[in-house]
Order: sequence, then structure tokens, then C-alpha cells
Amino acid sequence: MYWMANAFIFRRRDSPIHALDPRVKLLISIELFTLSLISSTIIHISVTLAVIFSIAALAKILVRIYRTLLFTAGFSILIFVINFLVGYSIITSFVLAVRFIAIVGSTSLFFLTTSPDELEYVMKWFRLPQDVVFAFVTAVRFVPVLMLDAIQIMDAQKSRGLELERGNFINRIKKLAPILIPLVVTAVIRSGELAEAMEARAYGAVKNPTSLYTLTLKRRDKSVGILSVTIFAAVLIYFLSG
Amino acid sequence: MIEFINVSYIHQTGVVALNEVTVQFGKGELVAIVGANGAGKTTLVKHMNGLLKPTKGTVKVFGYDTTQQTVAALSRRVGIVFQNADHQLFSDTVEHEIEFGLRNFGFSDDVVKQRVDWALRFFGLKEYANTSPMMLSGGEKKRLCLAAVLAWDPDVLVLDEPTVGQDLLHKEKLEQIIRLLLTQEKTVILVSHDIEFLWPMQPRTVVMSKGKIIADRPASKVFTDDYVLASARLINPQLVELSKRLKLSNEEVFDTIFTAKRWFLTKYRWS
Repeated sequence: MYWMANAFIFRRRDSPIHALDPRVKLLISIELFTLSLISSTIIHISVTLAVIFSIAALAKILVRIYRTLLFTAGFSILIFVINFLVGYSIITSFVLAVRFIAIVGSTSLFFLTTSPDELEYVMKWFRLPQDVVFAFVTAVRFVPVLMLDAIQIMDAQKSRGLELERGNFINRIKKLAPILIPLVVTAVIRSGELAEAMEARAYGAVKNPTSLYTLTLKRRDKSVGILSVTIFAAVLIYFLSG
Repeated sequence: MIEFINVSYIHQTGVVALNEVTVQFGKGELVAIVGANGAGKTTLVKHMNGLLKPTKGTVKVFGYDTTQQTVAALSRRVGIVFQNADHQLFSDTVEHEIEFGLRNFGFSDDVVKQRVDWALRFFGLKEYANTSPMMLSGGEKKRLCLAAVLAWDPDVLVLDEPTVGQDLLHKEKLEQIIRLLLTQEKTVILVSHDIEFLWPMQPRTVVMSKGKIIADRPASKVFTDDYVLASARLINPQLVELSKRLKLSNEEVFDTIFTAKRWFLTKYRWS
């Protein structure tokens, strides 16, 4: 559980990918997401995954992205089984299952290398409403907090004799109530406290609050952006022609 | 009873939370574990019921190696009450909340009824028996968590920051409960920053810093030692500070407000 929670938490790293402008990271992520969606053969999906893992290695988050993808493997197996049962061939079912992993990997790349602050700047750059930006960024910030809460709640309930690993499937589902109820309650309490704290710090007092930082594209960001678009266009043509 | 033999624990992130810790906790002891945030106090107590297994070394609870036991089996004898009450409460009524642990440990219906009734009365929660735990105040929630653990009568009780959010009256009540448990030969382990709460009880005090135990002595020796206190980022209890300002020797340091009062009466009125 600890290692799983760790996989979803953004951590600063000294890597060329982390140092990029978040808009460039978003661009790369969208490109990879598109490639994942249109990959229809084993070669296509292999190329897409290879690029995802190469970027993850460059960002020094290979282990963490591996953990994230391991977490999605269960759904992937489900996709494979369902597609196979409805009549698709083994290869098509396999590609569809791996495609799901690639989609998650491409989006994870962005979230694991972009801090919530950077995410906020990107959303503001897109001129999204302040309330929407705040709600989204807060939700992202709270994912690791909720994961850690869940771990503490599990520890507390295990200490009261709750054995999550025992019993049949139905019993195991029932045993989740002592975990989920305190998790929801603490999340609601925390959101109420956060709302009050934000209001106490004049949130919403002005329509367009100023920002301490502004996004600036450096030469390196522009070069990486142009390079990624060029490679993306070439691969896209190759995928569509194949 | 609980034995840590050269125990180290390294988190997934590589942080060394416990570093070669060797310590024993015996029957009927009152032990305070103190130290700065991140010193390893909570990590240490989570090893006592097997929530964490040592990366290196051995933890033995009542002679059993914790790596060979389930958390449930160890929790039956080592009850831990965690700091945040909201992380534990989930039932629809206070009564059911106390029942939860007892049911998990397989107590019979008669015993469950008896124990729940005892816990409700003992902790002054009888009037809230059919109330939702979410509707209780912070102090009442803490008491409910303690009641829910004491209901199954563990041999060792571990309280993680029991005085946080408690008013003076509840702290006094908690002290009385701890003293009562000690008369029943229970082992009570307190993880706390609240030295004013700990000092009058004069517990054996284990001081932790950076995953190591830097002192393991009676409270009278720890809370008067400025070097140890500074290492643990603590300050003297007020009674110790007062004794120091009055230039009393270490043997004369006031342990309770009553000894201080007696000293003043003797010195300024009766002498």
C-alpha cells in the first residue's frame, strides 16, 4: 500500500523533463496520448510504449511509472478478457488491453513530472475560470493526501482486528466499509476546513488575482516542443499509412 | 513482554525511520516515548502489533516474532489508540463502534454485551450509546476510541498523542484511567509531546532522535537533563523549571503541584 501511494505522489527530481516548461510537457503528453489511441498493431503500441518508457527513464521516474502501470494492469486484463469474449482475436484484444496501459502511461508522465503549482499556471494560461482551476488543482493536490489517509485508516482498523485479506469476495467488499466511511468523513471535514481557511485568506475577493510566477518559454523548451511535434507528425503518418 | 532486538526500519523512500533500536517493555510498566517530529516514535509503536515489520532485527511480542504473526493476533494483546479519532470511527452508533473490535476478535454475544456496557459506563458515554460517533465532540471521540480498544482488554495499551485536543478535565480523567490500568498490571505506553501531562505520572521515559533511542531513564532523570531535552526538542516541565529557579537539587524537584504546594507552605508559613 505504501509503495502504491508513493507511485501517485509528485516528487521534484533533477531531470531534463522536470525542468521543461509545463506546456511543453503537456504537449508531449497529448502527442503520446494520441499515438496510444490510434495504435492498432503490436508494432504501433510497442513503439508508443517504448517512447513513454524512454521519456520516463529520462525523467528518472521509471520505477514510479512502472508502479502506476502495474496498478492499471488489473483493468487491462479485464479489457483483454471482455474483448476476447465478445469475439475479437487474441492479438486485437491484446493490443486494446496494452493500449489502455499506454493511455494511462502517457497521462501519468505529465502528472508525475508536473507539480500542482505548474499545473495551475498551465490552466491559467488556458484562461480557465479561477474557481475551476482552484478546484482541479486542489483535487490533484489531495490525491496523495487521501492515499496517506487511507493507509492510516487501514492501520487503525487493522489494529482493531479487521482482517481485510480474509474471507470471500463479498466479505472482503463488506470489510471496506470501515475504511471508506472514515476516508469520506475526513475528506469532507478537510474540504470544509479548507474552504473556511481560503475565505479567511480572502479567496475570491478579487476577480483576477495576480500571480507571483508567469510561464516563460525558454529556448530549450521551444526546441523540445518543435522536435516533439516533428517526431509526432512523422510517427502519425507512419501509423496511419500502416 | 515486548522486545526490540537491533531493529531497523527503512521506508520505501529510503528514509531510515528506526536505526538499530534495542529496547524492552515489561509487564505493568508505564513508559513514555518522547522525541521531535520524525524521530521514529510512531514507527516504533507500529512494530508492536505488527503493522510494520522490521527491515532488520527482531521484534518479539509475548515471545512471538511479529513477522510470524498477523496484525489481528498481535492486536488482541497490544491495543493501539491512534492520534486521529476521525480515522477510526465509522459505525452508525457509539455502541456499534465499541462492538466492532470485539466482534473481529470473535467474542461471544454475551461477552460483547457485557464489555460494551462496561466501556460505555466507564468512559461516560452511556448517554450517547445510540448516537452517531460523528456527532460527538473531539474529546468524546478520543474517549470513544480508547473505550473501543480497552473493551477487548489488551495486556498492553499504546496511546499515540492521547492529549491532543483534550481539555484539562479530560486529561485528568485520562491520567486516572492510566493509573487504574497500572494497578491491573497492564503495560501502558504513551507517545506524547505533552510533557506537562507526563511529568506527574513519572513514567520510564524513552527519548528518541533520528530513529535512535538516545535516553531510556526515569522521568526524573530525563526531564531534568537539558542536553537530552534539547536533543529531543523538548523543554523542561513547568514544575522542573520552577524547581530549578528555586535552586533545588535534583532529588527535591517537584513532581506534582501538591509537592510544590507543600514545599512553599513549609518554607514560608510554617518555618
